[in-house]
Amino acid sequence: MANEPHDPNNPPSRWRTFLAKSREFAPVWTLLALILFFSVYSDSFLTLENAANILNQVALLAIMGTGITFVLLTAQIDLSVSYMATFAGVVAAYYTAGHLPQPWPLVAALLAAGALGWINGVGTARLGIPSFMVTLAMSLIASGLSLYLTRGRILFDLPPLSETLGSGRILGVKWLVIVAALTLLVGHLVLKYTRFGRYVYMTGANPKAAELAGVNTKGVITAVMVIGALTAGLAGVVGIGRLGSATPTAFDGMLIDAIGAVVLGGTSLFGGVGGIPQTIVGLLILGVLRNGLDQVSVDIYMKTLITGVILLAALVFNILFAGRKEA
Amino acid sequence: METTAPLLELHHVAKRFGGIQALSGIDFDVRRGEVHALVGENGAGKSTMMKILAGVIPDYEGEMVWQGRPVRLRNPRHALDLGIAMIHQELSVMPELTVAENIFLGRQPLRGGVVDWPRIFREAEAILAELGFAHVNVREPLERYPLGVHQLTEIARALTSGAELIIMDEPTSALSPMETRHLLELTRNLARSGKAVVYISHFLEEVTWVADRVTVLRDGRKIATLEAGTTDKQELVRLMLGKEAAFFEESYMGGRTVVDRHAASQPVLVVEGLTRPRTFTDVHLQLHPGEILGLYGLIGSGHFELGEAVYGLLKPTAGRILLEGRPVGVGPRRAIDRGVAYVPPSRRTGLFLEKPIYQNVTLPWLAQISGLVPQIPREVAVTDEVIRRVGVRPPDPLKEVVFLSGGNQQKVAIARWLVEPPKVFVVSEPTRGMDVGAKEEVMKILRELSQAGVGVLLISSEPETVLAASERILVMAKGRIVREFVGETVTKEQLLHAAAGELAEAR
Repeated sequence: MANEPHDPNNPPSRWRTFLAKSREFAPVWTLLALILFFSVYSDSFLTLENAANILNQVALLAIMGTGITFVLLTAQIDLSVSYMATFAGVVAAYYTAGHLPQPWPLVAALLAAGALGWINGVGTARLGIPSFMVTLAMSLIASGLSLYLTRGRILFDLPPLSETLGSGRILGVKWLVIVAALTLLVGHLVLKYTRFGRYVYMTGANPKAAELAGVNTKGVITAVMVIGALTAGLAGVVGIGRLGSATPTAFDGMLIDAIGAVVLGGTSLFGGVGGIPQTIVGLLILGVLRNGLDQVSVDIYMKTLITGVILLAALVFNILFAGRKEA
Repeated sequence: METTAPLLELHHVAKRFGGIQALSGIDFDVRRGEVHALVGENGAGKSTMMKILAGVIPDYEGEMVWQGRPVRLRNPRHALDLGIAMIHQELSVMPELTVAENIFLGRQPLRGGVVDWPRIFREAEAILAELGFAHVNVREPLERYPLGVHQLTEIARALTSGAELIIMDEPTSALSPMETRHLLELTRNLARSGKAVVYISHFLEEVTWVADRVTVLRDGRKIATLEAGTTDKQELVRLMLGKEAAFFEESYMGGRTVVDRHAASQPVLVVEGLTRPRTFTDVHLQLHPGEILGLYGLIGSGHFELGEAVYGLLKPTAGRILLEGRPVGVGPRRAIDRGVAYVPPSRRTGLFLEKPIYQNVTLPWLAQISGLVPQIPREVAVTDEVIRRVGVRPPDPLKEVVFLSGGNQQKVAIARWLVEPPKVFVVSEPTRGMDVGAKEEVMKILRELSQAGVGVLLISSEPETVLAASERILVMAKGRIVREFVGETVTKEQLLHAAAGELAEAR
């Protein structure tokens, strides 16, 4: 039979353990290597100020990445997150301009994003459309809604809470970083310490087996798509505070970075493996890379290329090691 | 018509897979104008031999002679080029494409660089008419036609590609009685028109009807090649089983009748008139508390699907499944909560290989064990208890399942259901691919469960498995229950007969 026993006393188990370990720690080594590299080649890299800078730069990605981690853990994908973030920002600004009392514009923004996520979830789990396709369509819908609400203009009336969380500080620390850290923390607690979190991992590891064990896998998948949308919405409403305005395309470009960071950290595209700690490492890799390339004298027009190559390398790595499931 | 010189011969063909000798010393030949059937139990070497004939396995020992010349097939493409085509058990057709496209799949005739559709349709119609299926519209998508036509399409594809030798692997296992008869007639006609057919089937009734000669394999060796006209099912079964038959007769714990032991009790599970097209038809059965009911059938006879239906995975179109008098409902969660447990026929389907044992065991019970927040120490404790009870080695709840042997993986799959003892335990193929020791251990667990009052539905395509523990045995064939054995001594031979032989009545 194909899935025949590994004799427990045989060397392969050791080899597998080693592979599993290297898969787990490779992103950490990558991160350390990058930090070392940039520290050597730039005087301004390894400073407290720059470290704060990096955290600030990846904060929005972190909020979005928390939800994406849930989605990837169930072996689904959400290509609409950045567009839903834009949309949530637009909704918050739109209703603020429309003099809806605070905090209702924010509530409306999160509800609107959550509703789109629910549609993603139903399309994926109940109707059986690949999440790739549903969310691709949803990215157009969210984008279209943003354009329709703003009529293409930039909205400057923002909820005060967005402005505070997006660009304010408390005790010298940016609120944005605190929000990001809290989102990651909550995500981590849910994944590691709740029954739902276990269901997320098990659904991703083997959906059929999870179903056979009585897990409502359709419900789980719907829920993670909603979570992905809610964190995207949160990123949107604090993001407009950071930008100082809501535009109909504000966060659209963050999609690749957000998914890339999660995958860079080592969360499997095939589900069941990974988590928030991995996502944090991935975020830092991306942040250090982006920031470091600015500080060393690399051709500015090479930056995107280098980032892309490193992302591709991480993906290849991810697939390579996921392949052992088949072995 | 050339009848004397064989079209294809095998001389002393042998094949090893690691430590297992799958085939040894096979001499075999098939002539033009002949249907040569290949029979044997699961694991006798039929599929290995077929793969060698079709070029799927190129590295074997021995010699193959095609039309008088020695050949060594490199791959299936090579076989096809020579004129050897294989019709697979699982069809390789594309239901969305038209019948004609399926017939010419991958080799559409071109004219001036574009596909020559008129010619495709013309030739497809011609070949189907020749095969006696002129009523099939080749411009319709294949999915509009029943499975029999799908099979036919594969045969038409083989013929139009110039095949001289056609290998058919269990071609009728999914067909209705009517379609089966058509296919058998078609097979005879192919032979009559000068082709050669190697026909592999479990259904001995069909084999004796369609074949000119029959070769019996057992344990990777050729036992005999017989003229179909001079043999019968009894002889074939005897040859397939060998001396073992007597042994298994003894292994059956016969003599107890279900009536004596369980008539007084209310059945815990009642299946009434359960029907699902192409899966099972009008199935009735009753399972009593404390009983092990064996459900035996050849692969494809619908017995595994019946197990799925009891667990709420498959929705029947007619009939009812009652647990303690009330319908079970849809979905595994409801089934679990009502006290139904299920182990699927493939371990890979039911287990999380990359996850630790405890997560595999406790998943259905997370709510009961620890509420909203999983308490890993408690999960580990619960797991430790049940895996020790079933004898998982090593009994380490933190070990990933993938590191366990197949037998121990299966014990994990069963151990899960000891956390809260079920009322009905549906186990499909619980001992497939295990060594004798592990098999016996699993059977012991099932017997203990039944002694504790659990109704066990033991579903298998291996006669030994069903015989080893069942007190009562039902036999399914082509979606129907065709035979019940109660309180009598049953042999493996009788089971095979019931599953393979009683098709005549079903037809």
